Amino acid sequence: MRVRRFTAAAIALVAMGGAAGCAGAAGGGSGAGGGTVQMVLWPGPEGDAMQKVVDAYNAGQGKKDGVTVKMTLLSRTDTFAKEATEMAAKSSSVDVYFTASYIVGQHAPSLDPIAGVDSSAYFPVAVDGLTYEGKLYGLPLDVSNHFLLYRKDLIDQLMSDAAWKAEYGKVSQEVVGKSLTPKPPADWNWDDFVAAAAFFTKKYNSGSPTTYGTALQAKNLLYNVMIWDDVLWSQGGSWLDSSGKPTLNSAAGKAAMSVYSTIYTKGLTSPDSAQAEFPETQAAMQSGNAAFALQWSAGYADLNSAEKSPKTAGKIGIAPVPGEQHKTHVHALAVGLNKYSKNKANAMKWLTYLATPAAMTTYAQAGGIPAMPSVLQAQQGTNPVFSSITDSIGTYGFAEPTLKNSFQAYSDLADALSGAWVGREPADAALAKADDALNRLSG
Amino acid sequence: MSTSFTSGRRLRRLVMTAVVALIAVVINLPLLNALNVSFKTDGEIATSPLAPAGHPTLEHFANALGAAGYDFPAFFANSTMIACGTVVLVLLVAVPSSYAVVRLGWGGRWVLSGVAALRLLPAIFFAVPFYLLFSFVGLLDTVAGLMLVNTFLNLPLAMVLLAAGLRDLPVQVEEAAAVDGASDYRILTSIVTPMLAPSLVAVSVLTFLFTWADYLFAVVVSTTRATPVTVGAANFVTSYGIRWGDVSAATLLSALVPIVFAVAAQRYLVSGLSMGAVKG
Amino acid sequence: MRTRWILGAPLLAFLVLLVAAPITYGVWTSLTRRTLSGTDAPFAGLANYGAVLGDSTFWHSLGFTAAFTAAVVVLEVPLGFGLALLVNQRLPGHRVLFTALLLPIMVAPSLLGVMFRLLLNGDIGALPALLAKFGVSVSLFDPSSVVPLLVVLDVLQWTPFTFLILYAGLQGVPADLYEAAAVDGASYVRTLRSVVAPVMGPVLASAAFLRAIDAFRTFDVVYVLTGGGPGTSTTTASIYIYKTAFTDGDFGIASAASVVLLLLLIGLVPVVVRRIVGKPGEGRR
Repeated sequence: MRVRRFTAAAIALVAMGGAAGCAGAAGGGSGAGGGTVQMVLWPGPEGDAMQKVVDAYNAGQGKKDGVTVKMTLLSRTDTFAKEATEMAAKSSSVDVYFTASYIVGQHAPSLDPIAGVDSSAYFPVAVDGLTYEGKLYGLPLDVSNHFLLYRKDLIDQLMSDAAWKAEYGKVSQEVVGKSLTPKPPADWNWDDFVAAAAFFTKKYNSGSPTTYGTALQAKNLLYNVMIWDDVLWSQGGSWLDSSGKPTLNSAAGKAAMSVYSTIYTKGLTSPDSAQAEFPETQAAMQSGNAAFALQWSAGYADLNSAEKSPKTAGKIGIAPVPGEQHKTHVHALAVGLNKYSKNKANAMKWLTYLATPAAMTTYAQAGGIPAMPSVLQAQQGTNPVFSSITDSIGTYGFAEPTLKNSFQAYSDLADALSGAWVGREPADAALAKADDALNRLSG
Repeated sequence: MSTSFTSGRRLRRLVMTAVVALIAVVINLPLLNALNVSFKTDGEIATSPLAPAGHPTLEHFANALGAAGYDFPAFFANSTMIACGTVVLVLLVAVPSSYAVVRLGWGGRWVLSGVAALRLLPAIFFAVPFYLLFSFVGLLDTVAGLMLVNTFLNLPLAMVLLAAGLRDLPVQVEEAAAVDGASDYRILTSIVTPMLAPSLVAVSVLTFLFTWADYLFAVVVSTTRATPVTVGAANFVTSYGIRWGDVSAATLLSALVPIVFAVAAQRYLVSGLSMGAVKG
Repeated sequence: MRTRWILGAPLLAFLVLLVAAPITYGVWTSLTRRTLSGTDAPFAGLANYGAVLGDSTFWHSLGFTAAFTAAVVVLEVPLGFGLALLVNQRLPGHRVLFTALLLPIMVAPSLLGVMFRLLLNGDIGALPALLAKFGVSVSLFDPSSVVPLLVVLDVLQWTPFTFLILYAGLQGVPADLYEAAAVDGASYVRTLRSVVAPVMGPVLASAAFLRAIDAFRTFDVVYVLTGGGPGTSTTTASIYIYKTAFTDGDFGIASAASVVLLLLLIGLVPVVVRRIVGKPGEGRR
């Protein structure tokens, strides 16, 4: 008897939800149709800002166009994995794909070129980055680049305090091999960067207010290669030489590698930096443990916000990436039209709207960094970093060579280089491995 | 004498309880930390790792329930339906076939080996084929589709566990029933299944939890309508930075339904033992 | 016997409808140059297999995964068994303890990885801050300690899995066996060895087997925490295949790597299954 009751209970337990589950399982079909345009984007400032633009369109111009836009957000890594699956299956369920300078070469075969858009309204470097084999495959949306973000209060004291200046000379002698005097961050070369990092590291200067001078982003992550590229380009280096041959294993490559491995192995950044990316660097600054860092433009607003970063709010300065010549990687995030979409006419109406300064103004006001210089200029009151971005991209911006498979190139370079960044592998071998990878991809 | 024996025993049990409790705390540190973080403001999260929330806020929970613009109630409903449906499907498929394999010698060891081998292949291997298959039959982005995928993912586990459990059961009871003229179906439903209860509960719990936690397939096979809570919570891992408070709250909330399921299941696991009747 | 085919029919139907097609497609893909950027997928013969077998990163990832798997299984099965024996003592509050011990597997590994990233962060993480209170300064993500860290995190996350299986298995040990041993005056340890262990054999084997298979597929927590680095030092087989498919867009090579992985491991399955199911014909008929 009891056995049976128990069985009944056990079956009831599993059936309980099962019935509900199957009841809800009905329904099917896929793909967008009619006036609904499906778009994929990733979450974060771009996704949040885009939602405002979507809402504005659906409430206004979209009504006239007879189009409703629906946006799906996926997490940062999954967005491209999901799109890869959709593209591999030649699916039509998404009409507008999310794409970017560093992946547009891979996406191009699944996208229609964007025609009838005034590309002169955008940063030329953004348009170039999204152009593949002579055709524009992505409508530029957002630009990203790097800055040196630093603690103004600490650097100001370094520039004025005689005792600090003297200590700075001693520390720089020990770490860089020559006695340096403090300079304003906008004038730093890499020796100044390393010396200042040592000065603000307790291990070298017990009076340092921060534990570590800087916060390197040295995790094996393709986006971290973009930051290291700043160092490489500032030394006059590049991925490929003028004849198109890989040239990482060169004087410039070794110098750039030495900047990273010196900072890491001398302990001027936390040992944890070996697994650090954007969020860890933000945390190092926010907690007051680091004095300055190379960081993406999007990090500036949060570090200066009293709500998000009470310790550093109002104290964060911004300067171009150091070096004998300042250089910053620039890439554009963009949207592209699915070649297999069954809804192209409606999707184009939405993209046409997205290309207007009005749409990009909404986007800027909602927290995005639009790729239109005129909008950035007009919206300087919205975000103080906008003027720095316009200047930096115009003057110091560079784009890595567009390969058929740039995304893979970044990823392979991260595999090849990240061990040497943290001194775990010899620099020469790592740079040679990186050249091999580029050779395979550009050949 | 007997008193000191009892108190020594009680002390030993207390020590053992303390040890298990300590282990439980250690393995749950990430969740305990998430609990603390989820009530803190962004500023506190960034500046005081150990301190409890100075100005407790419900903002993160509000965001994780939909205030951030993501449809979390729907995500929760999807996850619940997918997980429950998968448990039913897995049991319906695995119980009779394991019985046929272990007791009736169906397919020798090959059926079980073959099914177990399915779990050796990396999930990514199946991502694109499943996407194509599902788009062909219209199961893409449906709860039913995700139930099928998860049944596929959990079948090897269920078959192996049920086979091991069946092997443990004394075969004499079944033989006696067979002599009495009971059919195989009757033996399976009214003799074997009750005795197998602990294994069934373990399989149900694990299938539920693994299905609830599935991520890769949910990303690939769902788009908007069938999105489960794990994929929804990942929205807080953004292109720039991680919204620590929001993702902590979402993680905690996402564990609530499985906790209820595990508590319910454990009642049956324990009552299965205390009845003694199951012991054979 | 017809009965066994009828009982097996749902499984057969499932395998034919849902498994045969994807596997065929996957194997076919492994023989083509199917890439994300190529619209057609020309037949490539065994070229993808050559590329995989010639890639030192692939072999390194296999070696790392095998060592990682061995380490976590060796730790998780005994720990889970110990926990199951403890909780099986009907300790006070064992219902609460049981649920608390299962909590880590209730969280999606991808989210748990993010939670670890927060807990262990050197600047805003609670664990380093707590240790600092005791004067211990740690850098958990230092390259020299990151592999042991990953093993420990896996043990924290998955010992609950072996615990649950073994706890359920212990419920199947007939009480009269314990009683008989107690009447004989056997010590607890001897009872374990002579009474519990033999009955638990298949369950222990299946717990170890299932854990080993899943550990070999380890992806989420490692990927979230290290991305496979520094360099490729913590790249697991799954991370290798994931990156090949979704970052490189090379589905042909990713499929070939999956098949190679399957072929390398599949020989072990019948051995383990024999341990779990016993000899055929040991059943009723």
